[in-house]
Amino acid sequence: MAEKEKFLVVKIRKSTWFIWAMRVIWVLWLLFWAEFMVGSWKEFERRAFVISLIVLLLSLAVGSFLWLWGYLKHKKA
Amino acid sequence: MNRRDFFKFGFGGAGLAVGGGLASGADNSPSSPGRSVYSHPSWVKMISRPKLAVDDNVYSRFNARNNIFGSFTRYYGEENRKELMKESRNRTMEYYLEKRPGYRLEDRALADAAWVISRLGGLNRGTRAWTSKSVRSPEQRGVEKYTGSPEETARLIKAAARYFGAATVGITILDRRHIHSQERGKQIVFEKADEPYEDEKKLVIPDKCKYAIALSVQMSLDNLQCSPTAISSAGSSMGYSRCEFLVAGLAQFIRGLGYVAIPSVNDLGSSVAIGVDAGLGELGRTNRLITPEFGPSVRLCKVLTDLPLATDKPIDFGLLEFCKICKRCAEACPSNCISFDDQPSFRVKGEWNNPGHQAWFEDAPKCFAYWQKSTSGCSICIPVCPWAKKDKTMIHEIVKAASAKIPALDIFFNTMDEAFGYGRQKDADKWWSLNLPEYGIDTTQGKG
Repeated sequence: MAEKEKFLVVKIRKSTWFIWAMRVIWVLWLLFWAEFMVGSWKEFERRAFVISLIVLLLSLAVGSFLWLWGYLKHKKA
Repeated sequence: MNRRDFFKFGFGGAGLAVGGGLASGADNSPSSPGRSVYSHPSWVKMISRPKLAVDDNVYSRFNARNNIFGSFTRYYGEENRKELMKESRNRTMEYYLEKRPGYRLEDRALADAAWVISRLGGLNRGTRAWTSKSVRSPEQRGVEKYTGSPEETARLIKAAARYFGAATVGITILDRRHIHSQERGKQIVFEKADEPYEDEKKLVIPDKCKYAIALSVQMSLDNLQCSPTAISSAGSSMGYSRCEFLVAGLAQFIRGLGYVAIPSVNDLGSSVAIGVDAGLGELGRTNRLITPEFGPSVRLCKVLTDLPLATDKPIDFGLLEFCKICKRCAEACPSNCISFDDQPSFRVKGEWNNPGHQAWFEDAPKCFAYWQKSTSGCSICIPVCPWAKKDKTMIHEIVKAASAKIPALDIFFNTMDEAFGYGRQKDADKWWSLNLPEYGIDTTQGKG
């Protein structure tokens, strides 16, 4: 029996240190804006709240898109 | 770990080099054990002399009669004043009738009511009396008067002051030039005396009163942001009333220890000058004290005493450099009374200013005239100041720390502050629906 039929081969792509660094920075960036958003809400600073909310959502969307794009690219490869 | 500790240890060890640099660069060595009760943020530097210069040949005691409240008619002209008051009365009625938010009966009643405690005192009157018969002295208790080291005593005083409502406390050797030469038609003199007293011609401060305790009380930014309305005025008057309670309580505490205590709010002398000397803050573009913790959103008061105390030092948190480029208060001022000069100078604007020290001097009659025109006073210059923040988010502390250490960033910070909408006038009508804490202030702010 061929090896191929005997085993299920799972490939886990190793992220580089750069990718990990970017993920950490991205999470810190999100936390920063989330804290700013909550703080601005408590301060009744409407404009600061709206701006921080928009930046937070945009950061979340861009980050998620890049992650998905990278995932799909490597899946195809 | 609280926010201040977080900064002290370099942003929680998050590895942000700028944070570590900012925190470690500060001279945070305790200047007195009193600092164990109260200390400024780690990015505030202690300095030996205030940054703005004083010309010792010129600077002298100010006659309180020349201040804007005492001489407005002289500065503005009798006819102009009458016209102004008439305009103010008409406008007040107009605002009532149209039920304009911030100027309605309930708003005015709130502002008046917030004054109620403040009106119990005046220069050597009521709650600000220089002596008290109701205090139980150590003698009456059958014990010796309190003795402790100046450091230990400063710690007690600061704890007591905080308990009576002080936001920040500083202690300095009294510079007598900060005390008015005359007030209420009487000379204020220093004499060798056991107790302060007043007769028909003079008010006497005992020579032995060598210490000044400078105190700040927070004002509600939620109120001030509604300026110029009666809601904003209530924030200011509440500050005065809380000052009244604070100085009365602290003075009584000191008398209870067996010493002389002279409580004062805006009377008797310049609380701003004493506050600068005692390290409460720096002199800003408005020619008023700006604190690192609350910006200009504070009322000041003081207690003079002969109780030996360890003193604090003036501070530097980069305000002078910031004020040079910011000018937000001057731009926002509807009466155009705040200086747009790039640099502070010795040039006074009129008799209402006390000459002999560097400052951005204000055109006080214009300011006071606008108080009448607005019908409810004005404090627009306070909430527009980028240093006046409620401190509910970490970014304010980061920006203040960075500004204190890297003045080159001040332009950027000022632009961003404006872009994020800080300092804009709030709807006075909505103030009534806010779920505010006691007195409208966060009493934990700036406490570490």
